[in-house]
Amino acid sequence: MRIGVDVGGTFTDVTAIDHDGGFHIAKLPSTPQDQSLALRDGVGDVLSGTATPAGAVRYLGHGTTVATNTLLELDGSSAALIVTEGFRDLLEIARQKRPSLYDLAGRKPRILVPRALTFEVAERVGASGKVLRELSDDEVARVVEQVREAGVEAVAICLLHSYRDDRHERAIADALAMSVPQVYVSRSSEVAPEFREFERMSTTVINAFVGPRMHRYVTHLADRTADLGIPVAPRIIQSNGGLVSPDSVSRRPVTTLLSGPSAGVAGAAWVAGLAGHRDVITFDMGGTSTDVCLISGGKAVTTAERSIEGYVVRVPSASVHTVGAGGGSIAGTDDAGALQVGPRSAGARPGPAAYGHGGDRATVTDANIVLGRQNPREGLGSAMPIDAAAAQAVVAEVGHPLGFDVPEAATGIVRLANSHMARAVRAVSVEIGEDPRDYALVAYGGAGPLHAVEVAREVGITTVLVPPHPGTLCALGLLVSDVRATFVQSVLAPLSEEALTDVTGALERLDEQATDWFDREQVPEADRRTVFTLALRYGRQNFELDVDLPPGRLDAAVLPEVAEAFHATHERTYGFRHADAGIRVVNATVTASQRTDPPVPGTLPDGDGDPARALRETRPVVFGGRELPTPVYDRSRLMQGDRLDGPAVIEQMDSTVVLTPGSHAVVDTYGVLHVEVGTDA
Amino acid sequence: MPERTGPDPITAQVISNVLLSIADEIGMSLRRASYSTNIKERADCSTALFDARGRLVAQAEHIPIHMGSMVGAVRRLIAPEYLEQLAPGDVYITNDPYSGGGTHLPDITMVAPVFLPSGPDGDDGEPRLIGFTANIAHHSDVGGHVPGSNSGDSTSIFMEGLRIPLVRFATGGEVISDVVAFVLLNSRLPEERRGDLLAQTSALRLGGARLVELCVKYGVETVEAACEDMLGYAATRLAVAVERIPDGRYHAQDFLDADDAELGPIPVAVTVTVDGSAIALDFAGTGREAVVAINVVRSALEATVYYALKAALDPGIPANGGFFDAVTITAPEGCLVNPREPAPVAARTDACQRVADVVFAALAQAVPEIPAGSHSSITYVNFSGVGDGFYVYPEVIAGGSGAGPELDGLDAVQVHVTNSSNLPIEALEAEYPLLAERYELVPDSGGAGRRRGGLAVRRDIRILSDSAEFSAHADRQSIGPHGSHGGDDGTPGHFTVVRTDGSRERLPGGRVSGIRLGEGDVMSIESPGAGGYGDPRDRDPALVLRDVVDGRVSPDAARDRYRVHLVEGPDGLGVDEDATVSARS
Repeated sequence: MRIGVDVGGTFTDVTAIDHDGGFHIAKLPSTPQDQSLALRDGVGDVLSGTATPAGAVRYLGHGTTVATNTLLELDGSSAALIVTEGFRDLLEIARQKRPSLYDLAGRKPRILVPRALTFEVAERVGASGKVLRELSDDEVARVVEQVREAGVEAVAICLLHSYRDDRHERAIADALAMSVPQVYVSRSSEVAPEFREFERMSTTVINAFVGPRMHRYVTHLADRTADLGIPVAPRIIQSNGGLVSPDSVSRRPVTTLLSGPSAGVAGAAWVAGLAGHRDVITFDMGGTSTDVCLISGGKAVTTAERSIEGYVVRVPSASVHTVGAGGGSIAGTDDAGALQVGPRSAGARPGPAAYGHGGDRATVTDANIVLGRQNPREGLGSAMPIDAAAAQAVVAEVGHPLGFDVPEAATGIVRLANSHMARAVRAVSVEIGEDPRDYALVAYGGAGPLHAVEVAREVGITTVLVPPHPGTLCALGLLVSDVRATFVQSVLAPLSEEALTDVTGALERLDEQATDWFDREQVPEADRRTVFTLALRYGRQNFELDVDLPPGRLDAAVLPEVAEAFHATHERTYGFRHADAGIRVVNATVTASQRTDPPVPGTLPDGDGDPARALRETRPVVFGGRELPTPVYDRSRLMQGDRLDGPAVIEQMDSTVVLTPGSHAVVDTYGVLHVEVGTDA
Repeated sequence: MPERTGPDPITAQVISNVLLSIADEIGMSLRRASYSTNIKERADCSTALFDARGRLVAQAEHIPIHMGSMVGAVRRLIAPEYLEQLAPGDVYITNDPYSGGGTHLPDITMVAPVFLPSGPDGDDGEPRLIGFTANIAHHSDVGGHVPGSNSGDSTSIFMEGLRIPLVRFATGGEVISDVVAFVLLNSRLPEERRGDLLAQTSALRLGGARLVELCVKYGVETVEAACEDMLGYAATRLAVAVERIPDGRYHAQDFLDADDAELGPIPVAVTVTVDGSAIALDFAGTGREAVVAINVVRSALEATVYYALKAALDPGIPANGGFFDAVTITAPEGCLVNPREPAPVAARTDACQRVADVVFAALAQAVPEIPAGSHSSITYVNFSGVGDGFYVYPEVIAGGSGAGPELDGLDAVQVHVTNSSNLPIEALEAEYPLLAERYELVPDSGGAGRRRGGLAVRRDIRILSDSAEFSAHADRQSIGPHGSHGGDDGTPGHFTVVRTDGSRERLPGGRVSGIRLGEGDVMSIESPGAGGYGDPRDRDPALVLRDVVDGRVSPDAARDRYRVHLVEGPDGLGVDEDATVSARS
């Protein structure tokens, strides 16, 4: 059995696939004080529910928000920072932009290392890698003593041009390991050896800030799964969608900061592939926000850098756009009398009024309940009672100043939320020059399938895919991702025969890093895969494009092929090429992965095309301002080939699918719903 | 709320989101297809949609100085002499501050009328004008007497580069090659210009196609009504914000550093009149046209005022014609903010910053949330010389932002009409024969106050090649940013050359060119700090202690300005409570 456990803010989701391809899912409340508690219980539930012995678990993938929460809650370690003399304030000056263009009270993110704990050392490496000022032993001893006196839990080291020559950083790290072995050391030449000092420093400092806690967590986690009797070590997903061992995570916990959306995107890509679609836009709508990401040719668009609440992290991740519209988004009128939805959210607590946890503001969820789209009596299967009257009351309050009755106000809230999400769907596609109408939308997250058909129609997308378990797709993503890590090295040399050794030297170092990592992850020789990538640009430019190198040795004979691949990528991305301009190599990257066979899912039995067997009830649902008698189906009883015509609602434990009038859906072999959006409003 | 005749308000909002998406898409398309780093990476460009009456309805701007700076060009296109000629497939170009609505010559504006073709939705007659798509982009060179076309010391606009009147760049969907050739010959980087201009053109076409699709989907009347809603919403939002300000006339004055030693500093003055929901700004009292390139033409003045009002009153006011048209702006002809042709304008942003300062200072008399004065200098520096070929390294240096009633000012940020990033040290050293020796905050540069002003930045650059030339435009080198409600002023900025023999020479002011530097010389650049807010003696001593421990405030300043006495105790530095209380009483 393979198991994936994804921890979210409210729920911990478990998805398991047995040797017959059957899926088993569980959803438990998360345990923020120790995320591994819900993991233990969820895995236990699945094992006992399927009468599987723990010894039969061959794989355990885990998505955790420990690092993310540590950063967002600013609850990390006390840390010091060691920098080159004269550059004490690099972290704080950052890129000198203000946080908000028009908000005079905008704040910079709180600095993670106070200025008083930022220590300068006399040393300097130049841009060519030449040492301009040696780092003396006395200087090392002095700064180690400063760290000891500061009594910090972690230290970040980031010296200028250390991506060129890391000896000074290493000397300090080694001395710290000797003298203060209990202190967690985060070294920029190990964590993010890329040029551009602010981004490297920020990443290194965040790594130090979350490091000690993450180290404790993964150590504890490994003990816990061993206690359960699971014979394999857990693997933890990183922001790039690759899974790694607890040991790798301890070294670079910063790589897990954006792992949540990446797991979902991986799951969505896999489900879309099963359903025969390689070009899709993911649409993950949860309680507070909606994440969208474009997948082209089966591969998610990635980004090398992200900002999380103003903290810049240089780590590859799926290029996810987030918009502040989710089920918990609050609706109300502004000073100028217009209806607004979000970005403020009622979150899990107090939550929507209908959930009865003290929420007294109308949310998108309340609007869906008022409209009959979401079950007005119970939620989460039957585990949660719904207070429809409370939803009516808060939505009525929103409608009053606008002169709207309750259904009008609820319709307005849903349409506005859809409109915000549609803008995000357009943005991820037009940003890279794609037309969203050439893509299918994959709807997941608890609320995604409620809104996806209308969002698709707003954008002009004709097909929506709904995975079998949209509420636990992140956990599924953990099952289908591979064991993978990336290592980067800045090169800064022309792509030319003369400078070839600069490039090959970097590739050799990366190859060694990959080998070390394979050894640590205990990947068998035969399953080791490495792909080398160069980030290239034209001479005068300041932005790079990635080009995969062909397998084998990089030598002069291969250079024209690499150059042509870059010209072609540039032309495809930006619409033009400079055939005669020089090309520069900025970074080299190795992606090391373990070859794995994707799981084979089971298939649904054939039905007769008529979903009547799955009919639960017919209830009034509001579409386009009109109340229509709408059949409500039980997703678990649908069979392969069933065709459902909108208007219809399909309920399942972890989500609700809404088919608007004019749309229809067909259930495929694997239980994926293929919705044809149609044009009828 | 007024009577409605158009679509329901939700449909109008849905359409307005699509219009904003289209403006975004024009911008993304432009950045993707452009050649130059300035547009592609730094996003020094903005895009907008206008309705058929020439009112801006949706804008995607990244830099406040661009707010509304396409309005002037469109305003001219709807005048009869142009309107009658407009045809599908036209694209117009201009960069001229005096005739085309630009703010300085490197910013090239392109505008395309959008027509609904006769067909399924339209009538059978002539194609119908439904609006305009427009974009503006900062081009890295349009000729003139310095590379980059952005000098501080030009004395006439004719020194600043090619002036392009509002003319057709494309007709019938085809780019007019004669015009392209004309423009390219006037740039030091013609190939880059060609790529960027074509990117601007194709982005407009894409936006036009999207606007047509929207009108086909919803009907032109519905889209027009939605535009009216968007304009009305912005006007209402401004009116609501203005009504919160007590009626009255609020006056403020500040100064720009002297452009000419004999003529002295240049006053910038504004009187803001608030009457119910109406707001008017009059710049009478502002000094003469400057003899150097800091003059602010109408569109730059408008952009700055719109920025300041949005920031001071309600950041959520949409940047559209409903907002712009509700603000009355007047300035005497021939003054710094209403210059006469051919007054030079290339480095207008330093003066725009001062315009924003005085608008804030005037409103601060009625709105206590408005912060003290910010560094408000562009501090643009430029090193050039010969290393691995001829190089030019341009940079802008951030400074402090003003303290507010609740918050200290921000250290090391860009303020007001600009928000551009720095070049990483590792990038500059890889590209140019220069070595950065310091890049750090300047202690005590933020004015003392109950809330402290933001700190200035110092960047020291050593010349590694045989020689180099330094030029710059910066302001606030004679008068620091003002404190507010009893807070101290921030420190002024300065440029200092440290020669290899150890001698130090402070440059006479912020607008310099042709400064010769030799190998090993260091140029030390220091930006201005920012003003404090409230009496420094009311500052929590614990915060003063923290700033001293962090090295942002010196122990001397803690004692002299904040009247906080510190004492070394067993747990490190602490506040001497008794001494502090007696010093403060």
